Amino acid sequence: MEETVLRISEVSKHFGGVYAVSGVSLDMKGRSIWGLVGPNGSGKTTLFNTVLGFHRPDGGAIYFNDNCISKLAPHQIYALGLVSAFQIPRPFQRLSVLDNMLVAARGHQGDRLLDSLFLRRSWQKREVELADKAMEILELLELDRLASSPAGELSGGQRKLLEIGKGLMASPTLLLLDEPAAGVNPNLGRRIFEKIKELHQNKGLSFFIIEHRLEILFDFAHWVYVMDKGKIVVQGKPEEIAKNPVFYQVYLGER
Amino acid sequence: MDPLVYVLDLIVFIGIFGIVSLSLNLEFGFAGLANFGKVAFFLIGAYTYALLSQAGVPFYLCLIAGAVTTAIAGFLVSLPTLKLREDYLAIVVLTFGEILRLIIKSEHWIAGGIWGITISPAISVVGVSARVSTLINIGLVYLCLFICFMVVQSLANSPYGRVIRAIREDEVAAEALGKDRAKYRAQVFALGSAIAGVAGGLYAQYIQFIDPYMFMPMLTFTVWIMVLLGGPANNWGALLGAGLVELFDRGTNMAKDYLTLPIDPSNLQYIIFGVLIILVLFYRPQGLLKESRVKTKALELVRHGRNSVKNKRS
Repeated sequence: MEETVLRISEVSKHFGGVYAVSGVSLDMKGRSIWGLVGPNGSGKTTLFNTVLGFHRPDGGAIYFNDNCISKLAPHQIYALGLVSAFQIPRPFQRLSVLDNMLVAARGHQGDRLLDSLFLRRSWQKREVELADKAMEILELLELDRLASSPAGELSGGQRKLLEIGKGLMASPTLLLLDEPAAGVNPNLGRRIFEKIKELHQNKGLSFFIIEHRLEILFDFAHWVYVMDKGKIVVQGKPEEIAKNPVFYQVYLGER
Repeated sequence: MDPLVYVLDLIVFIGIFGIVSLSLNLEFGFAGLANFGKVAFFLIGAYTYALLSQAGVPFYLCLIAGAVTTAIAGFLVSLPTLKLREDYLAIVVLTFGEILRLIIKSEHWIAGGIWGITISPAISVVGVSARVSTLINIGLVYLCLFICFMVVQSLANSPYGRVIRAIREDEVAAEALGKDRAKYRAQVFALGSAIAGVAGGLYAQYIQFIDPYMFMPMLTFTVWIMVLLGGPANNWGALLGAGLVELFDRGTNMAKDYLTLPIDPSNLQYIIFGVLIILVLFYRPQGLLKESRVKTKALELVRHGRNSVKNKRS
């Protein structure tokens, strides 16, 4: 029996009278790449934000590695290893690319006030390890040459990559990505997914990905959920979903 | 007045306001907290020093107590305000400063109200000249300045400094990256206030007399000009700004004795300050000195890493 990574049970979230997410239940077991698709406004991003603690669910509960996380603040959820990358990248503009990466590290001793003042020698060691790791990830994302430039100088696609890089920096168990391939050229979009696959295979990371570029997503995801009007309407392996009439009806609008 | 004492006096003032400038730089420059109530914490430090010193407590304990009291006050003020957005935070602390000043002014039992309070000097040596006693003050003030600078500078060059800069840039994104913004903001507020409290204590013991009129809101804005002019998020800039603004202040004060103007010269000074701040924000928003980088071993690694890659290729 594989362990459950993320369990969403009957979660609802409404804004005023609009049910953005209504009674969604997911049970994500083992290590995998999950996809989440659905038309605009179907509640995908709201579901992500609810899982991440930015919205408090109006009903239901969310468990991450068997810890109930539905009442935790975003930073506490992050500390558990459930990490995300924003749909629209939000780099810390005036900080260097490397500093952006280092901010994302989890549980850095030097992040604490007194330690940073009085235990300089002790955290400097960790700092070097983290910088090394950051450079490795930046090399993977082909951003290493820009490590010391301010993040505000990056192009749109590079910001997207940096956003994913920050997510990786935290060594997460599960990384939530909101449209990683949107707004980048087709070639780069596919390369991003190849990196994702590589990280999944080599480092055992799990991913939960919202993506509209189905031609890419369906090649890489192991399991796909389809959302419509706040509900999961179909789920299954990508090749099955591709043939499913409900999926066609809600998403592609054909037939 | 002895011109040399005048210069030494200026040096003392630059030191004291350098400390306040550093504290605002920590809060605003690095963490992005718009503290428009700086004078309140300066006042708390000064009055704590004055009252304890009257009670016969030795001066260094008065300074430390001033820092602690101010830190607590800063922490308490931060609690209800930290959930507010930057501009609302500014309004709340601005009014806090005025309320506090008015309380001190009207409640005579606290510290003499409008009649003020007299403080004996920290280190008094019998029979020395004004020059020597000012020199002693310079020693004391610059020792404190050095300590405060070291604290703020080592924070700026640490992962902690990186986190508070990240919170300044985008607090939601920082929260999403596991940083408890409320905690960091409260800490920065408490520490920044403590540093301003030390400066307040030094000011009280140097002037040897304080009353509520010395803590007008203008003082806050003067410190803001120092930080904006010198360069936010650069501690050397904060000191440079303090030096320049104090020089300017003294310069215009002297110049007004030689000029006949149709308006009150001290108002003219405010006007020039206002114009100066607008010019700086328009033409050099980053201040005279650029934001300093986070200097840790990570930075060295990048540089050396790059070099070693180049070496391999050649």
